[in-house]
Amino acid sequence: MTDDELDQRVRASILAEELDTARLEHSIRERIRRPRVARWALATAASIALVIAGGLAYRAFFQPTPLICVAAARDHNYEIVNGAPREWLSDPAAILSLVAQQGVPSTAIAALATIGYRLEGGRLCSLNKQIFLHLTYSKDDLELSVYLRPGGPQSPVDRAVHEASVGTEDLAYFQTDRLTAVFVAEHSPAEALAFARAADRVL
Amino acid sequence: MPHLAPLLRVARRLTFDNTAAEDLVQETMLLAWRGFHQFQPGTNARAWLFRILFNAFYGEGRRSRKASGTLPGSAVVEGFTCQEIGEILNIPIGTVMSRLSRARQELRKTLAPLAKEAYR
Repeated sequence: MTDDELDQRVRASILAEELDTARLEHSIRERIRRPRVARWALATAASIALVIAGGLAYRAFFQPTPLICVAAARDHNYEIVNGAPREWLSDPAAILSLVAQQGVPSTAIAALATIGYRLEGGRLCSLNKQIFLHLTYSKDDLELSVYLRPGGPQSPVDRAVHEASVGTEDLAYFQTDRLTAVFVAEHSPAEALAFARAADRVL
Repeated sequence: MPHLAPLLRVARRLTFDNTAAEDLVQETMLLAWRGFHQFQPGTNARAWLFRILFNAFYGEGRRSRKASGTLPGSAVVEGFTCQEIGEILNIPIGTVMSRLSRARQELRKTLAPLAKEAYR
C-alpha cells in the first residue's frame, strides 16, 4: 500500500465519524452572545467586597475603645481611685456655674441628681487634649465619674449607649447632637452602664 | 460556522475524549472571536484557527509539545500541506515529513496483523 493509499484510507475512516457540529455551533454562539465581564473587574469587585466584609467584621468583633474612653479611665483611676490631690468644687452653686461656663446644659446636672446619684464634686480636666467637665457622683459606697463635653460628633449621631473596659475601669458612653458623655466606675460595669442609660433617658 | 468539523475531528485526536474535544473547540472559537483583530485578511484562516486550537491545547504548559508527533497525521487527514502543518505547529517542514513518515510506519505496523487476519 502506497503512502497516498494509506492516507486516503485513514482519511475516509476519520471523515466517516459522526459529528454533531450543530449543537457545538449553538453552544459557541451562546457563549459569544453572553456579555463578558473582564477578569480585572471581577477581581476588583471581589477585593472591594473582601475589604468591606473585613471592615464590618473588625467593627463587629474588635471595635476599638475610643481614645477618649481610655483617657477617661486613666483619669478616673488617677484622681478618684488613687485620690490624687486635686482641687474640687463641692458647692452645688459653684459647680452649676462651672457647668454653665462650659456650655453644658445645667438641666443635665439637675436631671442626673434625680435618678439616685448624688453630685459630690466638679472640676475641669483634659482628656486627649479636649477640655471636659469632670463630675463625681456617689451612690451607696460607689464613686462614679461623669465626663461631659458640649457638642457631639460631626457624623450622624449613634444614640446607642456603648460599653468599654480599660484596665480595672468599666465605662459606658454615648453621644447626642448636644453632648458627649462618658461614665466610669471601678470594677462596676453594671453600675456604669445603668448610670449611662439613666442619663441617656434624661439628657 | 466554517472549519468546525475539521477542528472537532483534530480535537478528538488530541484529547481522546468527546466532551474535552468540544470544550477545546469552543475555547478555540472564542479565542478566535476575541482575537479576530489579529487575523490578517488574505492569509489562511483555517491554518490560523488550527494554530489557536493547538496553542489552546498546549497552553498553560500542562501538556508537552513533545507528544505532538502524531499530530501531522491528523492534519494530513484534514488536507493540510506539509508546509501548512509546519506553520501551524511552528516546526520545520523536514520535521513534519519525518513525523509523517514515522506515523505511517507505526500505522502499518499496527494494521499488519489485522490485514493478515483479514486475508486468511
